[in-house]
Amino acid sequence: MKILVCIKQVPDMESRFKINGAGNWYDTAALAWRMNEYDEYAVEQAVQLKEQAGTGELVVFSIGPERVKEAMKKALAMGADRGVHVPDEQSHERDPFEIAAIIAAYARNENFDIIFTGMQSQDRGSAQVGVLVAEMLGIPSVSTIVAFERDNGGVKVKRELEGGLKAVVKTSLPALFTCQLGLNTPRYPTLPNIMKAKKKEIATRAVGDLHQGAALAVTEKMSFPEKRAGGLVLEGEPAELAGRLIGILKEKTTVFK
Amino acid sequence: MELTREIYWNIGQGAATLVPMYLLTLAAFGVLAWGFWRRIQVYRLGRAENRRDEAGLRASSALRQVLGQVKVMRVPGAGTAHGLFFWGFFLLFIGTCLIVVQADFTDPLFGVRFLKGNFYLFFSLILDLAGLVAVLMLGGLLVRRYVVRPPGLETGRDDALMHGLLFAILLTGFVLEGARMAVTELGTPLAAWSPVGLVFAKGMAGLGEPALRSLHVGVWWLHLALALGFIALIPFTKFRHILTTSANYFLADRRPKGALVTLNLEDESVESFGAARIADLTWKDLFDADACTQCKRCQDRCPAHATDKPLSPMKIVNQIGETAFNAPDRSLIESLGKDELWSCTTCRACQEICPAAIEHVPKIVDARRNLVLMEGEFPGEEVMGAAENAEVNGNPLGMPFAGRGDWAQELGVKTLAEDADVDVLYFVGCYASFDKRNIRVASAFIKLCQAAGIRVGILGSEEKCCGEPLRKLGNEYLYQGLAGENIETIKGYGVKKVVTTCPHCFNTLAKDYRDLGFDLEVEHYTRFLDGLLAQGALRLEKSDEALPCTYHDSCYLGRYNDIYAAPRNLIAAAGGQVVEMSKSEAESFCCGAGGGRILAEEKLGTRISEARARMAAETGAPLLVSNCPFCLTMFEDGIKGADLEGRLAPRDIAEILVERL
Repeated sequence: MKILVCIKQVPDMESRFKINGAGNWYDTAALAWRMNEYDEYAVEQAVQLKEQAGTGELVVFSIGPERVKEAMKKALAMGADRGVHVPDEQSHERDPFEIAAIIAAYARNENFDIIFTGMQSQDRGSAQVGVLVAEMLGIPSVSTIVAFERDNGGVKVKRELEGGLKAVVKTSLPALFTCQLGLNTPRYPTLPNIMKAKKKEIATRAVGDLHQGAALAVTEKMSFPEKRAGGLVLEGEPAELAGRLIGILKEKTTVFK
Repeated sequence: MELTREIYWNIGQGAATLVPMYLLTLAAFGVLAWGFWRRIQVYRLGRAENRRDEAGLRASSALRQVLGQVKVMRVPGAGTAHGLFFWGFFLLFIGTCLIVVQADFTDPLFGVRFLKGNFYLFFSLILDLAGLVAVLMLGGLLVRRYVVRPPGLETGRDDALMHGLLFAILLTGFVLEGARMAVTELGTPLAAWSPVGLVFAKGMAGLGEPALRSLHVGVWWLHLALALGFIALIPFTKFRHILTTSANYFLADRRPKGALVTLNLEDESVESFGAARIADLTWKDLFDADACTQCKRCQDRCPAHATDKPLSPMKIVNQIGETAFNAPDRSLIESLGKDELWSCTTCRACQEICPAAIEHVPKIVDARRNLVLMEGEFPGEEVMGAAENAEVNGNPLGMPFAGRGDWAQELGVKTLAEDADVDVLYFVGCYASFDKRNIRVASAFIKLCQAAGIRVGILGSEEKCCGEPLRKLGNEYLYQGLAGENIETIKGYGVKKVVTTCPHCFNTLAKDYRDLGFDLEVEHYTRFLDGLLAQGALRLEKSDEALPCTYHDSCYLGRYNDIYAAPRNLIAAAGGQVVEMSKSEAESFCCGAGGGRILAEEKLGTRISEARARMAAETGAPLLVSNCPFCLTMFEDGIKGADLEGRLAPRDIAEILVERL
């Protein structure tokens, strides 16, 4: 089984964000970086799948400046076999279509059986890259999965719908899955694996070899949301209030999942 | 008449006595040696560790501990009784040796007899009284163990055997003495010098000489057999502590208090870290199990044990012995128990009180190292999150690293990046940097320094967690990474002296960082301010207002660094009157936050912080003063949890000092 997991390095969300000079993205100074949370679920699922299969290869793929290798090393320490890095200082200016095109261009001739991505990135949050990659490769994709199991040569997953509903989807392989919170608990890399990861190969593929052309969508301007009074005040009878509150919690949060 | 006695009276010193006696003696010592040889094979399952450096110092401290019974007698009652029993039995042993030396060596070989005259009289009196003291103390200990039955004191086959055998040896000794005196000493001036023997002699005199003589022969051989049986049993019963505990004083850890082995993580030949099996521990860890007498002093003082958590430091040590001797290949983590291992706050109360110089905490940390470094396991997801936060942002709280120095801006404190020409570097620590409650402490410390004319700098966003909580949780890799970054940063600025407000940072920078090449002077703020006060640089206003309070000795300032006076001086200088809690100084009761537990939810048993808050409330003082950000954080919660709000408020020493500027 050959598995690809696509990850992105994002700023720690507790960081103090500032808008950059061009006004179209955040300033990258004084930020702490980590692996995109949803991509951690993707890596964990990929590693578990490889461990269950006992054989196969797990490749971790990332686009971005040199620093993204830190996130790749974590994926390698968690259990990925090797990395493919596409150095790109301007990756934040690329739209989801371009990012997907780069991934698809790389994956096209590699014959991956399964591709995992995060459901979305914590910084841009488009939730498009995974499904676009599948479309470009002409393989099925299932988004926002919260459970994954092998099923007679294919795969059976549970995906999350609005309002806390879940759907069970079966698909044949190859296929792509975007991973959602609740899928698993990403492991803490052990020291021997951290040490081994330092020696694992991270190959470089030039962005120009994988993708030509310009972005279809461009970020014009970025700004902080206007400060609004936080909170939502519900009024009415307690019994009815409780019902509305449960509805909101189901809709907007994961407390009932 | 000559003031002496015939040594082999009624027994005879011929071959018929000496040959069987010495053969039996040889056999007893042979069994003793064989028994220990077998145990040594088990100790050798452990890894190598050098405990023979500074042999002279080790020997003299061991001698002081054994003969002085210093650690044993620190606990009155049972400890005192053990000390007195030891001295009694030890004198009897010396007396017996002197008899052997004279009767079988100096007299037959050189015609020299020294057990005579006034020396003999004192010899006789002292041994007689030693026997009496030993019997009384043994009786007291027996009543304690079998009648009073203190909770937690485990009593088994060994204990019955030991009490019985020792009693029999002492009693047969007195019967022997009495029978001999009844025939040879009644009515002579010698009799008064053996007052206890005299009582036995008078009681037995009515039997008549022939009966006394045959009784004497029988009891003489019985006494010999019991004494030799005692020697032979040493390796097979808890009697072994006579040798193992004594040896443990020699083998004691001579590094700074609380030192842990700094793992070499660069060594590529090492494939496993921490202790997963007996073979991962050192021989000394296994020997410790044999040195334990199950006195349960550690268990009595363990904050986790006192709050119904499954940990007992004594059982950890015993379980290691159990596993080493019976199932050395079994998973050590399984036999010790994960909940047990994670419950430890590394408060060191166990190690501080242990009369056998056993090292409990490093064993627990070693097992945790295996869990974290080899299995990626933590006591909870919140702790894994804290470790990841420390990796990403340099603090376990998950706060943005860039904001680490924000608290100091309005106080006019510069970072070393802005101005490195300072008297001291204040290593702030994570809690004083980010936690609102503890920022008040940091601010108070800065104001005190400014008032004393000290130029203080901080590292600001360049400072990282010192790594202490993570290290105690077993994450040596993360600790060394953080420590390495701090050391490089601090060294780069040519700092002369570092002061911390957190005792955990203090202990780590002052001691643990030494192994990583850091050698600057590090002081905790209590000592630093106490020094400024003594020099007259820091002047406080007098106040007529009474300031009654109680003071909590944090583990890492107290037991780990023996700093008890400086904080109390400061409180007194601020006008505080300390009402001590029953558990204070070296006996202080942990707040529950040590050992990285500050980062973990306390899911088992009751809350340690609440137990400590109640102890503070018992003093009646309205303030609970401490010296540590972890303690302060725990007490803020503990006081609320124990419903003591309004009656008790937690304060840091710096906070009460700054009010007197």
